[in-house]
Amino acid sequence: MSEPILRISDLSTRFFTKSGQVNAVESLSVSIDEGEIFGIVGESGSGKSVLARSIIGLIESPGQITGGKIEYRNAPLADEFRDAHPDAVNGDYVDLRSLPEEAVRSLRGPSFSMIFQDPESSFNPTLTVGEQIAEAVEVQRRASSNPRSTKARTSSSEYSLGSYAYGAVMPNRSFVSSKSKDRAIELLQQVGIPDPEERVDEYPHEYSGGMLQRAMIAQALAGEPDILIADEPTTALDVTIQAQVLNLLREIQDETGMTVLLITHNLGVIARMCDRVGVMYAGEVVERGTLSDIFDTPVHPYTKGLLGSIPDLDTTGGRLQPIDGNVPSLMDEEMGDRCYFADRCPKAMEQCLEEPDDASVDGGTDHEVKCVLAQTEYDESQALGDSHFGGGDT
Amino acid sequence: MAKVGIVLLVGVILVATFAPFLATQPPQEQNLEDSNIPPAGLTYSSEEIAFVDGERQTVTNTVQGSLDHPLGTNQLGQDIYSRTLYGARTSLAVGVLGTVIALLSGVTVGLIAGFYGGRVDDGLMRFADIMLAFPALVLAIALIGLLGPRTLEIPDPFVAAGLADGMPETFTLPLTVTLVVALVNWVWFARIARGEALTVREKNYVKASRSLGASNRRLMLKHVLPNSLTPIIVLATIQVAVIILLESSLSFLGFSGTNLSWGFDINQGRDLLATSWWISTVPGLAIVLAVIGINLVGDWLRDALDPDIGGERGGM
Repeated sequence: MSEPILRISDLSTRFFTKSGQVNAVESLSVSIDEGEIFGIVGESGSGKSVLARSIIGLIESPGQITGGKIEYRNAPLADEFRDAHPDAVNGDYVDLRSLPEEAVRSLRGPSFSMIFQDPESSFNPTLTVGEQIAEAVEVQRRASSNPRSTKARTSSSEYSLGSYAYGAVMPNRSFVSSKSKDRAIELLQQVGIPDPEERVDEYPHEYSGGMLQRAMIAQALAGEPDILIADEPTTALDVTIQAQVLNLLREIQDETGMTVLLITHNLGVIARMCDRVGVMYAGEVVERGTLSDIFDTPVHPYTKGLLGSIPDLDTTGGRLQPIDGNVPSLMDEEMGDRCYFADRCPKAMEQCLEEPDDASVDGGTDHEVKCVLAQTEYDESQALGDSHFGGGDT
Repeated sequence: MAKVGIVLLVGVILVATFAPFLATQPPQEQNLEDSNIPPAGLTYSSEEIAFVDGERQTVTNTVQGSLDHPLGTNQLGQDIYSRTLYGARTSLAVGVLGTVIALLSGVTVGLIAGFYGGRVDDGLMRFADIMLAFPALVLAIALIGLLGPRTLEIPDPFVAAGLADGMPETFTLPLTVTLVVALVNWVWFARIARGEALTVREKNYVKASRSLGASNRRLMLKHVLPNSLTPIIVLATIQVAVIILLESSLSFLGFSGTNLSWGFDINQGRDLLATSWWISTVPGLAIVLAVIGINLVGDWLRDALDPDIGGERGGM
């Protein structure tokens, strides 16, 4: 197997709020291979979106990445920074956390881009859709015109302060060259917007939700990114549009061979789209493996629980089996060195009061589980009662 | 009400623009024989004690207003009507120019403070608070004392083109006053812009754009600023009126550097208020009408640009 394109190790992202420290992502490690669709699935509040934003470097105060590495494989980039930032470069890999902010910014667009959950609020209402896509094209054009120089990607005399100010005063003045606009039309066509020549000059409120989501995909594709992060791309859409958008993503991935990190809480979306899956719980990836590892031979009780709570058409009449309890609070003082799922786990044992390690199932494969059950059988004699968690109110 | 406001505002703008054509005589021209003439249609009589043929007599002087000086003359025999027209130029020029300078500097500071937040925000906004702690008029007078009353002579295009012979060839723009009123008022723009920037920078489209590699400058100017403009525009309208009042106060106190200003004229008639009341009243009314007009337009703009009201209650 080829080297992964993105290697995240021991990533911790914390939010320092007034009511305490929240460990949204806690020593998370995951590798993503080039050209695959990797799914991250988990409940609300499990840290999926924070993971996505950590990768792209958009964690804002009071949040902070407190530890770990986000290593991105890109040989030219590694060569560029090998001398200036030796600690950031490791072989062909570059650690995004050790790069200067300007360099990370230059990677957004051409290397990483992101599709957001809510297309309606992700477009600036005062600019045409075409202009906003073309904006992303310009970033990419500048990057490719001089790929070696970070400076060329980020500043250009074409876009002086004066022209910005002029554009702010004269709303009808188009910012973008006709070349970028043509590319925007092409991109709109690619994502299946009808009449792209007309639509390119329309404002976001003239688009429907599904079309805006397509336009957002077009915007994300403008930079021809190596890695596309899709954060709940279909949550705000109705079911038929969801299917269309997912098909579109799949087609584009087939065409371009880019890597997609798909974040969702919907197991159906995962089953339909992904090559490999990571299941997130309380800021950790508790189980990861190929699609069939997760769906056919899950090991972690949480994964089993998630799968058990999907309605099944074949066995009608029975009740759904939800996972008891809620996602634990991610406040620092309430988290200890133990398995965070233990208090909801039907198979919790006394060993679960210690933090489990990542363990490979059946040895050798990349189906890994953060659970003692990977190596031991459930032993009822060591089962934990509710009393261990201070009253059994869950 | 908005219609009234627009009529008043457009009226002031037209008057200021075409003052050389509307004026009946050059505003500075003195004619001491025609001093203190009342407005057309009014008569003014004064009794004075005089010695006629060695005898002490009470003589009654009666002065009749005429259309030669439709709004009367002042102590120096200058035509009040013409002076008021030219005063509109000063007020409007200082009001608009001062607002523009205040807007540009205030919005720049506010945008940077709101967008970057944290220490930048704290530093800039605490400085703004300190500026607010000074009374505007006192600060303005102190600054004028510091800078000196500089003026700029701007050639009048109509006179230069030979369309209005005899009228003053240049218009005196009180530079210091313009700068000072802007320095006193930029804080309001900074506060509004900061508040808006704080909200808008959290919007998804700002994050989306950032995730595509946009620079901070681009985010500020293309995404945050255009979406913060509405309250800034409304504030700018109201500030024109505030600055006109401040300019009038300053020129009333004699700090303006020009003697063609409503405030200056009010001051001239101050001592004669009991007798020649029109000298102060006419420029005073001009200020009132201009400020009311601008405020009405500002109110209407605020309602019209507020999506919650939908512009229907604006009265237009």
